[in-house]
Amino acid sequence: MRNEALDRALHEAPIPVPPDAEERGRRMVEAAYAERKSGSELWGAMAPRTSEGRRRQPLPRLALALGIATLLAALLLSPAGAAVRDWVGDVVETPAPKPEPELAHIPGGGRLLVQSAAGPWVVQPDGSRRLLGDYEEATWSPRGLFVAVAKGRTLSAVEPGGNPHWSLTAEHRVRDPRWSPWSPSCCRIAYRSGEELWVVAGDGTGDRLLSRSSAPVAPAWSPLGDAGLAYVSRGGALRIVNSESGEEFPIGLAGANVSELEWGDGGSTILEASPGALRLQKLRASKFEARPRGGTRLELPLPPGATVVGAALAPERATVAAVVTHWREHGTTSEVLVYAPGAEKPRSLLTVPYSLGEVVWSPDGRRLLVAWPGANQWLFLPVGRGKPRAVANISRAFSPGEHAASFPRIEDWCCR
Amino acid sequence: MQVEDGEDERRLVREAQDGSGAAMARLYSLHWRGAYRAAYLVVHDAAAAEDIAQDAFLAAVDALDRFDRRRPFRPWLHRIVVNRALDWARREALRRRVDGAESVFEPLPPPRDIGGELMAALKELPPEQRAVVALRHLLEYTPGEIARMLELPRGTVNSRLRRGLDRLRETAKAESLAEERR
Repeated sequence: MRNEALDRALHEAPIPVPPDAEERGRRMVEAAYAERKSGSELWGAMAPRTSEGRRRQPLPRLALALGIATLLAALLLSPAGAAVRDWVGDVVETPAPKPEPELAHIPGGGRLLVQSAAGPWVVQPDGSRRLLGDYEEATWSPRGLFVAVAKGRTLSAVEPGGNPHWSLTAEHRVRDPRWSPWSPSCCRIAYRSGEELWVVAGDGTGDRLLSRSSAPVAPAWSPLGDAGLAYVSRGGALRIVNSESGEEFPIGLAGANVSELEWGDGGSTILEASPGALRLQKLRASKFEARPRGGTRLELPLPPGATVVGAALAPERATVAAVVTHWREHGTTSEVLVYAPGAEKPRSLLTVPYSLGEVVWSPDGRRLLVAWPGANQWLFLPVGRGKPRAVANISRAFSPGEHAASFPRIEDWCCR
Repeated sequence: MQVEDGEDERRLVREAQDGSGAAMARLYSLHWRGAYRAAYLVVHDAAAAEDIAQDAFLAAVDALDRFDRRRPFRPWLHRIVVNRALDWARREALRRRVDGAESVFEPLPPPRDIGGELMAALKELPPEQRAVVALRHLLEYTPGEIARMLELPRGTVNSRLRRGLDRLRETAKAESLAEERR
């Protein structure tokens, strides 16, 4: 094949384009552009430099509001939308809240750990933030006094101010460090290295192998602060291992393609999330010392055709928050669902155009923080009463000085 | 559609920075197709390519105030597109290796004609080779520009390009032979 033929083929070969893709993108870009201009006005020094910009400003915002309202109305009135509307317990038919231009404080308090391309950031309750270093992953210690960070084959514990305490070097790349909950004999850090599962004491001593067969899923500690650690083996089995004795307890087969594992509800429930399913694995003994065994498995109902993007178990309750995406020909929408224990259907907190990202619970279990990369926003959503809040310009906040800012990942929200 | 010259594009960027929605809309119209096509050639997934193209424009809007007007807009946008497409393709490859499963989203297959054969052959290349082939032969950047864009040594760009083209030629040759035998 000559280069000219390749040039022509790459330019002319038919490629599939989703219907109205260009128009959908145009609406989002118009919305973001209108938002940028309104944000600029709040920041007097960056106000539009021409009278045209100021004069036209209300029109795009009105167009944005109408556009979003029309889109949501179309989605909810379409046959597929109607199915979703009928399916969920309660749909909040309002668009996402008007975003604030920056994070002035964390609603409900606590501190956030946020992973950006440059490394993890600690965000204080007043919204101030600090980059810890060029680490690839990070996790809070149970009281937020330390952060376990991983880079390459190195696992370290550092203070939230950045001072390092200890480091160890594993044989393979360190992944998914997870600090155990607080207990009098506190604490341990579990991590994956290659296909192995390891544990080390919180002071960096006693590093030892727990399993040679760990699937690429972050392990989950027992919420009771005991030695129990749940993980998925490479063969797809859900297991609990005693991180002190090494004794293993098979619980059952995990679902296919599990991407997230959480152990909560007073130690009696393990949540497995995969793109196609949300499952609650009940344990017959919540206390780890009483030899846990697998009990009933409950599959949470998903809206027809929905894909699970993220899920999280509420602290100390069996309430599950999930972000699901509906991929449809007429446009992608995402939804935040809350499954209360015993409820027949989940409650829909919010539906927005395009993809949402991860979801994390606030330490008091009253709010959710949801990433919305398509709108460059974070959404703070009260699960009970309260006003939802949105914060814009998230990429810029965690990529200062970079031209091509990427959207960061919310790792964790700490601590009670 | 291409911008008439760099001066026009610079003017549009300047006007968009100054608050002209019309200029932003024009930049979008001029570059969406190229951005989508480049993303698709790397990821071979229409839904992902749509998200990547859209995400790149949102990043562009976000960074508009800080954008250096002396720099050309097009390569800057394409850099975001290709880097995000590469991130997606690597994540997807890893996910498939780990899960041993197909994507949960069924990609729309390209039509089976000469272009379709090329697309199928392109899909067999590693994402890094797909990216440099698309940047060179679809978006018409020089190897030096690609090297700067992807922050790679020029030799690496040249070798990825050569390997990618060799494999595409082999596929094209095999297809021709098969066609003759039929």
